[in-house]
Amino acid sequence: MALDDYLEEARLAGRAFADYGAGFFRPTVRLGVTGLSRAGKTIFITSLIHALLHGTRLPVFEALNSGRIARVRLSPQPDAAIPRFEYEKHLRDLIEHRRWPESTRAISEIRIEIDYQSKRGSDKTLTLDIVDYPGEWLLDLLLLDKNYEEWSAEALALSRQGPRATIASQWHTHLASLDPKGPADEQQAITAAKLFTDYLIACRDERFAMNLLPPGRFLMPGDLAGSPAVTFAPLDLPRDEDAPSGSLWAMMQGRYEAYRSRVVRPFFREHFARLDRQIVLADVLSAINAGPEALSDLEATLTAVASSFNTGRRTILSSIFKPRADKILFAGTKADHLHHLQHDRLENILARMVARASRRSELAGAATDAIALAAIRATREAVVTRGAEKLPAIIGTPLAGERIGDETFDGTQETAIFPGDLPELIEGENHEWKFKGLAAASHDETDFRFLKFRPPLLDASAGREPSLPHIRLDRALQFLLGDRLE
Amino acid sequence: MNVSKPQSFRPDDPRVVLAAPDEPLLTRAELRELEAAEASSLPAVIESAPKKRRFWGKLFWSAAGGLVSLALGLAITNLVQSLFNYAPWLGWLALALTAIASLALLVIAGRELFAIFRLEKIERIQKRAVEVLVSDDRDEGRAVVGDMISLARTMPRLAKGRAAMENYSRDIIDGADYVRLAERELLSPLDAEARALVSSAAKRVSLVTAISPRAAVDMLFVLFNTLFLIRKLATLYGGRPGVLGMFRLMRHVISHLALTGGMAIGDSIVQQVLGHGLAAKLSAKLGEGVLNGLLTARLGIAAIEVTRPLPFAALPRPTLSDLAGNLLPTKKDA
Repeated sequence: MALDDYLEEARLAGRAFADYGAGFFRPTVRLGVTGLSRAGKTIFITSLIHALLHGTRLPVFEALNSGRIARVRLSPQPDAAIPRFEYEKHLRDLIEHRRWPESTRAISEIRIEIDYQSKRGSDKTLTLDIVDYPGEWLLDLLLLDKNYEEWSAEALALSRQGPRATIASQWHTHLASLDPKGPADEQQAITAAKLFTDYLIACRDERFAMNLLPPGRFLMPGDLAGSPAVTFAPLDLPRDEDAPSGSLWAMMQGRYEAYRSRVVRPFFREHFARLDRQIVLADVLSAINAGPEALSDLEATLTAVASSFNTGRRTILSSIFKPRADKILFAGTKADHLHHLQHDRLENILARMVARASRRSELAGAATDAIALAAIRATREAVVTRGAEKLPAIIGTPLAGERIGDETFDGTQETAIFPGDLPELIEGENHEWKFKGLAAASHDETDFRFLKFRPPLLDASAGREPSLPHIRLDRALQFLLGDRLE
Repeated sequence: MNVSKPQSFRPDDPRVVLAAPDEPLLTRAELRELEAAEASSLPAVIESAPKKRRFWGKLFWSAAGGLVSLALGLAITNLVQSLFNYAPWLGWLALALTAIASLALLVIAGRELFAIFRLEKIERIQKRAVEVLVSDDRDEGRAVVGDMISLARTMPRLAKGRAAMENYSRDIIDGADYVRLAERELLSPLDAEARALVSSAAKRVSLVTAISPRAAVDMLFVLFNTLFLIRKLATLYGGRPGVLGMFRLMRHVISHLALTGGMAIGDSIVQQVLGHGLAAKLSAKLGEGVLNGLLTARLGIAAIEVTRPLPFAALPRPTLSDLAGNLLPTKKDA
């Protein structure tokens, strides 16, 4: 371990100690809403705040349902340097304009205070801190323990597999023309970084829906755009050699290290090392939409990301110096794209995907669960009878431009959709994914088709703010916060 | 794997039927099929092992019962006949009385049968609820809670909780959560009353034991008090047992008590009593009273667990110190 690794550990412990002191007088839960981009973090947070503030129907969330929560309010956040989570704006977008919030471009934070009466009868207050950040940045956690050479080799190997190879061909051609040991050239670095970024962005297309695409700031640079810290790319490097000074290799290596120490570590230190509870949102349905490769890719990403969490049973020592998340919930989001009869299958698929990650957390003493969730439910359910066959379908308004079969939607018309039957997993059986997704087939040949829907039309009559419909948000809250509100 | 391709339909298409909020997606028949399939896959109950002895026993009791009824029938027929010989109007009167008596007997038998069915239904709900809490099966959870709600329909004080539950049937809630929710909504008012019942019965028993002059008196009192308590608890939780039902309940409560460790030596409160020698410090009679009270409370807990239609999952299980804590006001001073 290098000196700066020890320094980093010391910083983490110091931070944790300060938090412990603050939490002593004000019980606080730092809820980590973790998820890759487009998994629905912003929507989950908005829906959660709205549900708590307005006391939406949350039957399974015992504290609210039995009336022990007296008051919930938003309060000023602790960090002065981080923007506030734009709850009101997101809510307006959802309710008034019926459009989903734009993808998150920068970090933001919000604090909620819950006044409740404990089961024994004393009045208490629980503070809930939630952080929202671009999901792309989550991928940076994978770089925490890798040096430039390791990362470079991995990224290259990955880009030569499956559908990625064709997407990356342009970058590969440019890469072949580079000499790692040649003199450093800024223009070469810029071109390589540009082509590499293009390849990463192309992988995210709906047809491929790949997720394992570090480094995250390449996809969502925030305020770093154009700086040297994001102007590097993997190189085809010889094994067991050192970078000659002044070479392209040395320059790239230096920039990678700068990225790691300036971007990745502070992000981890400020947000991930301090979490008490975690919810990991995963958009399994979009991956199924794209095909088996995307599904395996999502599985690899989730496993890798989850391995960088601090999880485990809480002890006094750990909560003072190294906070650990003692509950982790894996949630397959957008469950409203499926009829509820199929939710079990979605849960099974998700549980299998995160099996390794959750076993690791459970061994460390943390509780885990996997559920199908829809923070905001955009559809209703229906049954379509076709002869003797009954198809469980959902009714919603697809976004403009979405297509199914030979039909294209305009964003205003309601449609009943049968998205396909999810495969049923049999326990203990090694299941190979065999189905056609968008990556391999055209729009009318896929086995599944999960469209994007517009937010639901809510009844805002009688001057009351409408409550947002959801699926299992209450179960998620009960799992994550239930025991802290007892 | 897939027979049906993804496809879209217009909502005004006559084939599209909006799912009614509280209609389960499986029909009753389908559900029953599912149940049957599951039942056959479950391991056979251990009880069924000594089948042969049961068969002969049953044969004996049925044959003997038949003989007794024949004798009874013969006696009545003879009586009516001899009364007819004596005076015709007496004969007619006897015949009418016989008819009335047999009608009443029929009704009583019907009621007893009905009461037993009710008890069986509650037991079945409880058993299925335990399974759902483990399997988290959504459809089965709905079915169990549906049965629970129909049971609650006979209890007017549960109207509010029932309305709340019926309201939740539109939400998507998983099996185990749904059972827990039903427990919270429907059983918390009943639980409070059940605790009060057991607690007061325990107090009564300990008092009577302490002041009664003879052992026989308090034994009788304890017996009646216990029967009364079990009956009240069963009625509270919707059972309404008859005479036969009481026998059945008694048997279950006692076997439950045996299973959960009869005297509850492990229970901290008993340990305190015995360990600190509190009973010895008090007069022997008073100590006996406290111990009897504790036993009654213990039995009451067993009776609650047997008669309660749902297992304790979301609400706290009553403990001995909840129910019998007030029997030992001097505990802290001792």
